[in-house]
Amino acid sequence: MTKMPKTNPHDLSRIIDRVEDLPTLPRTVLRITELVNDPKSSARDLARIITDDQVLAARLLRLVNSSFYGFPQRISTITGAIVLLGFDAIRNLLLTTSVFDLFATRKKASVFRQEQFWDHSLGCAVGAKVIGNQLRYDKVEELFVSGLLHDIGKIVEMIFMPEAFKEINNLVKNDNILMITAEEKILGYSHPEVGRLLAEKWNLPPKLIHVILQHHQPSEAGRFSFESAIVHLADILCRSLNIGSGGDNKMPPLDKMAWESLRIRPRAIEFILAEITKEFDDISLFITYTP
Amino acid sequence: MAIIHVNDLKPGMILIDSVYNQQELLLLEKDTALTKKRIWILKTWGIKRVSVKGKPKVDGKTAIEIEIESRETIEKELKAKFEDVIDDPVMEEIMKAAQRQLLKNLNDQDAENKPT
Repeated sequence: MTKMPKTNPHDLSRIIDRVEDLPTLPRTVLRITELVNDPKSSARDLARIITDDQVLAARLLRLVNSSFYGFPQRISTITGAIVLLGFDAIRNLLLTTSVFDLFATRKKASVFRQEQFWDHSLGCAVGAKVIGNQLRYDKVEELFVSGLLHDIGKIVEMIFMPEAFKEINNLVKNDNILMITAEEKILGYSHPEVGRLLAEKWNLPPKLIHVILQHHQPSEAGRFSFESAIVHLADILCRSLNIGSGGDNKMPPLDKMAWESLRIRPRAIEFILAEITKEFDDISLFITYTP
Repeated sequence: MAIIHVNDLKPGMILIDSVYNQQELLLLEKDTALTKKRIWILKTWGIKRVSVKGKPKVDGKTAIEIEIESRETIEKELKAKFEDVIDDPVMEEIMKAAQRQLLKNLNDQDAENKPT
């Protein structure tokens, strides 16, 4: 028998009705996304938009000069950064920083929780990138953004249903269960589905939407199951290294099919963990969350 | 319990009490394992001293007992976290590798803290 989710004010369809109220990306990032998709646009067009936003420009330069990218020389102009990194990488970087803003502008109970959640997202981003490098995946930037956004549905829950979110957190704490289990019990759906709504509203690429939706069951992500499997594993590895917290303190089960599809030798895990630790230390000091 | 000056904190040490800033905003929750970044957060918020698990040595040198407790805590926390999935050999491998990495982090920090 299929278990019917209980009807409550937080029905997923109601959230869909309120989709217009979901957080939007800053206009600059939207304009940049359009530019990136336009084959006629040049590095100069992109640079003009970025330099108009001083905060964004400063942040971008700080990030490209961080050890995360490891360029031997200092990059002092936005155009230089664009030429070196490419359009897609720049868009992903800006998406990253905008998501940080989204976290920061919301009132929440504690600095601790925000920082923990942030670290978990950033840790997964770094983890997905490290695994991607290990597997010689050619678009590791995409994996980075996928890792960063995989739990974005939790932010929507936090903003739109603070009471239910509190209830979920209490259940996680009292019963020591995974957040996704508590969400199913209280809401009848969970953060991957909520995250998909937001990702669709933001017109994110289908790959990203699938990863967000299937990061707990990557083998069900169809043509994007490989990318979803990477983020799934990154999530598990970050949890094992105590990098931040997505709200619970349990290990989700490993999707066996997904693990096998990655063909990672168990011996390589140690190397991957060491790389994640090193890269996370480097990047988190550069794009750290400041309350 | 040992009350430690923030300058003497090391990643891996475990907080006994939650730490709040002057506006009573929670900065770090109790039982949190410190990392480089969390120590940095305490410093930027002007926190002077915090209490961590372990006993300080009388001569005030590196508190070896704190390290032992940190090591034990790493193992205990990992076991609790992996409790439901440990039957999976891959997860067991991940847990063991993570334990080695977390211990390495602790040792690396020791080496950094030692006077040359």
